[in-house]
Amino acid sequence: MLYREALNKAIDESMAADKSVVILGEDVGRYGGSYRVSEGLFAKYGPKRVIDTPIAELSIVGNAIGMAIAGLRPIAEIMTVNFSLLAMDQIVNHAAKFRYMSGGKMTIPLTIRMPGGVSRQLAAQHSESYETMYSAVPGLIVLAASNATYAYHALKAAIFLNDPVIFLEHELLYPMEMEFKEIENFDPFKAEVVKEGEDLTILTYLKMRYDVLQAVPVIEKELGISVEVIDLNSLRPLDMKTISDSIKKTKRVVLVEEDHKTGGYGAEVIARISEQLFYELDAPPLRIAGEDVPIPYNRKLELASIPTPDKIVAQIREWSQANGL
Amino acid sequence: MDYKIVMPVLSDTMDKGKLIKWRVKEGDIVHKGDVIAEVESDKAIMEVQTFKDGVVKKLLVKEGEEVPVKTPIAIIETEVEAKEEPKKEPKSQPKKPKEKPPQPTQKPKEETKEAAPAVPPIIQELLTTPITSIGGKASPAAKKKAAEAGIDIEALQTEGLLPKPAHLKDVEQEILKRYFTPKALQLLKDYRIDPYSFELTHKIDEEEVQAYILEHDIPQPFPLSSNRKAVIANVQNSAKKPVYFVYETFDIRPYENIKLTSLLIKTIADVMQRHPLTRAKLQGDNYLIYPNSNISVAVAKGDDLYMVVCKKAQAKSLEQIDEWVGGLKNRTYTPEELSGSTFGISNLGMFGITRFSAMINKQDCGIAAFGKLEQNRIKVTFTFDHRILNGVDAAKFVTDLKNSFKEQSDV
Repeated sequence: MLYREALNKAIDESMAADKSVVILGEDVGRYGGSYRVSEGLFAKYGPKRVIDTPIAELSIVGNAIGMAIAGLRPIAEIMTVNFSLLAMDQIVNHAAKFRYMSGGKMTIPLTIRMPGGVSRQLAAQHSESYETMYSAVPGLIVLAASNATYAYHALKAAIFLNDPVIFLEHELLYPMEMEFKEIENFDPFKAEVVKEGEDLTILTYLKMRYDVLQAVPVIEKELGISVEVIDLNSLRPLDMKTISDSIKKTKRVVLVEEDHKTGGYGAEVIARISEQLFYELDAPPLRIAGEDVPIPYNRKLELASIPTPDKIVAQIREWSQANGL
Repeated sequence: MDYKIVMPVLSDTMDKGKLIKWRVKEGDIVHKGDVIAEVESDKAIMEVQTFKDGVVKKLLVKEGEEVPVKTPIAIIETEVEAKEEPKKEPKSQPKKPKEKPPQPTQKPKEETKEAAPAVPPIIQELLTTPITSIGGKASPAAKKKAAEAGIDIEALQTEGLLPKPAHLKDVEQEILKRYFTPKALQLLKDYRIDPYSFELTHKIDEEEVQAYILEHDIPQPFPLSSNRKAVIANVQNSAKKPVYFVYETFDIRPYENIKLTSLLIKTIADVMQRHPLTRAKLQGDNYLIYPNSNISVAVAKGDDLYMVVCKKAQAKSLEQIDEWVGGLKNRTYTPEELSGSTFGISNLGMFGITRFSAMINKQDCGIAAFGKLEQNRIKVTFTFDHRILNGVDAAKFVTDLKNSFKEQSDV
């Protein structure tokens, strides 16, 4: 199943199951969504539940918050995370805080879907990853869907949660054909052990999962070790249990993220590991992250600015030599 | 640390209690559960226990005195027991194989959880000191392990016995070196035994490991050689073939100075020329009939078995073949020499075996298994692949072969 089809299935089934579920955003209706996620839904559910909005992110989220307060379960689509900055006040000051400000009397059952990350030559203003910003806001739940199975289950869970969820997708994933399976009692807050291993834990999320999985066989062969790969899935809350179980076993951790290294989400994860698992570590943690530059337009420079399978292998090789692996 | 024992609340209505009798005096060592006093409530006389180990530091209430409930009646010092009364120490400290200052051999976690009964002060100090204060340059995990096992990373690094920085595996190696003799370590490795299945309280030698192996009936793993894996694949494949057996006894008169195997190869090679199907391989919808008699010969070398092919055997003289056979034992074989046959022979006669049957090699159409030569007679068992040779084809071939050997022996 295509990644975008899994998202579509989740929205479609949720809308069929509950009349209070509505979607709104730029081009989500007649056009079927910029990445075809809402394809077919306009014809099926009509303009009252699949709402095309003007190009005005602040009002998309503001309207959605109003709908949520009034009893709907809106799914707001922001075309890319880069545009979500325009909706920041509504997201951070209102969606995240309303439940607290009302003393728990009102909730915001709102899901804001937005793709991010480096696609292909969309240049600096359309290539950012803002998971680090949203993960730093109390009151928000932040989920990052790297695969069809998680995307489907987690999006459904997000729609029916009574708190605002920032649902992060990645632009390169939409047309990818992926394995899909339905899982009962799916826990969207649990990290996934993608591959078990003994000597090294690699933490990652979103599209970097695939770069890591390409690099791992090379690393395993070259260093003669076995690598455990964990997809974080839920960024806020973070599943420290799965991370901790793995590091207690492997004693070494590498985090791979596409976002800029400085202040990136990986910094938070590594800080927590240092706090909670310091005496388990047999090597300094390693972050493999994007360069601290606005993402360049030139394809070669664009690739040079983010981790790739080759760079992941090279950095782990160098790090392992310096740290007795 | 001071631990205060208070006047207990012995009933719902009790608000004061009278201390009837002290069972301990100041300076006494007490252990968790020991009775230290008798007190009287409004209903009965009951015993008061201490819930911690330690030394009675001070008795705060005199016998006969009445105090409100929850008033401290005695103070127990919970840290200094060990030097006061080493005999009562519940845990015997394992002897160190090294002449280092005593350091903890137990896991600090467990120790602290157990409220540290009678722990020597130096260990107590180590347990309360953050692990970072252990010297040397090492990873946190390595330091933690070193602290548990009493390894002085700094000293070993000064002596150059540990790398800088030291990692977990270096410290683990050091621990193993400390508790196992080199031979014992080698045994552990050979048998893939986890060293931590042993109680690490003394130096463990080879004999102890050997005893462990016997007691737990631990098998020694021998990794398969690539040749052994190939043989296994070959015989497994062979077992799937539709085969049948032909049993015969041949009259054979061996030549002087010529090995029997050489004579067998030469005669079979010549006879194969008259029976095309014995030179055939089955490939898809075709038989591939080769012009030459290429015979695979079972050769045992060490623990390994090879099927070495004598190519174009019909074109070679008996002497040439004998020379080839003679050279087989002391050399290695090229992949070329191990393929290309259509018929095989195996000979266990030299071991005194009278009759046996053999498995067909790779794509061969059959194999002849020769037993022991007795009074110029030899028992042969043929295995044929029915897909290539039918019974009649086999009968003709075997009879022809039998006659050829007979003619040779009659000459």
